[in-house]
Amino acid sequence: MNDVASTTPTSDRGLYRLRDTNRSVRLAALLFMLLLGYAYVFAFLMVREFSGLSPGDVRDTYVPARVDEASLAQESHGVTQELDLEGLEGEKHRVDTMLLVQDSHIHILMFALVAALQSLIVLGLGWPGGFRDTVIFAAFASGGLDFSGQWLMKAGLGGFAWLTLAAGWLMVAVYVVVLGGTLRAVFPLLRSTQRREG
Amino acid sequence: MRISHMARGVVTGVALAACTMAAGHHITPTVELVKQADMIRQTLIGAEHYFVRKVTIGREDLELIRSEVSFEPEDPEYLFFLGKDDSDQEVGVVLFPQSNTQHGPLEIGLTMGPDGRIEHAIATKATVETKPWVQKVVKAGLMEGFVGLRHGDDPARALERVSRDELGAMPYYYARVAVDAVKRGLALYDALYAGQSATDED
Repeated sequence: MNDVASTTPTSDRGLYRLRDTNRSVRLAALLFMLLLGYAYVFAFLMVREFSGLSPGDVRDTYVPARVDEASLAQESHGVTQELDLEGLEGEKHRVDTMLLVQDSHIHILMFALVAALQSLIVLGLGWPGGFRDTVIFAAFASGGLDFSGQWLMKAGLGGFAWLTLAAGWLMVAVYVVVLGGTLRAVFPLLRSTQRREG
Repeated sequence: MRISHMARGVVTGVALAACTMAAGHHITPTVELVKQADMIRQTLIGAEHYFVRKVTIGREDLELIRSEVSFEPEDPEYLFFLGKDDSDQEVGVVLFPQSNTQHGPLEIGLTMGPDGRIEHAIATKATVETKPWVQKVVKAGLMEGFVGLRHGDDPARALERVSRDELGAMPYYYARVAVDAVKRGLALYDALYAGQSATDED
């Protein structure tokens, strides 16, 4: 006897059912999600090192440090101070416009490919159409909003540091939701245990 | 049952790991080839005491610099690192001009002797992507080609020491970027330091 999910029209529940696919397909989906999480850990470490995690640090990385030339004095002036070489820190890492062009052309493409692969998994998780579309939309939007925030900051709108940070959180949320769905589809015992506990 | 627990462990572990990338915007990392402090210490030979001179650029000097090189200051304050010996004589000054490209910044440390000539030129900062190109340029001897130059000389002369055919397109492009950084450094040194046009603050 077929259960409700298997008799639901495909258009309502997705294109396929990951849980019923070949073991190799399930293995590929699971390993993709795990490897993606592995990569995200290093993404975090890199961002913490070169940009910082607070809106202020992110703003300082992207907002161009423009000098208001009208406010400059006519003549240069200087001050000489003793220097402790041990305490000399490198300059704050800044992403200038040319570097952001380089980052954007590669990484927006990469985000799109990751979102597409996550969407392929989402289509097989048997989720209701509205929820499924929301997750797919969020998967693509997070990468787009991430770089939108960076470009808005580059245009001098430092307040949009929050948009870049929020996009990062959205990317995490999508990842966690899709990972959870993938694990439930791949490990049948997890589903049955949860049903019993429920 | 065991699989169930394992699966939950995996979910929790990976979800926690993923949460750490909450600010997960992409960023291209720079690579410190030589620390600024190390360059200052190693190339200001004979220095016993170190100082930093912070020059706030004025409109006249900015115009002067721009008449020679393209320069968009990100900070009105430019830093020069000085070394003095025991008799309070200046042994040299180090500055770190930078050129920005679509592949990231290239920073060249320049140590200027008391006679206003370059004594040392060292690539101090690149990016993960550009590091191999920059290292190839350094290995080919470009940096030695800058030694002895002073303001008014053409740093592009150093390109005679490297071959585009031997280096390849991208390393040679970065050799030219290094030339731009050195040219900018010489202009900054001349306008903001050598002439000491910058009046001292109290």
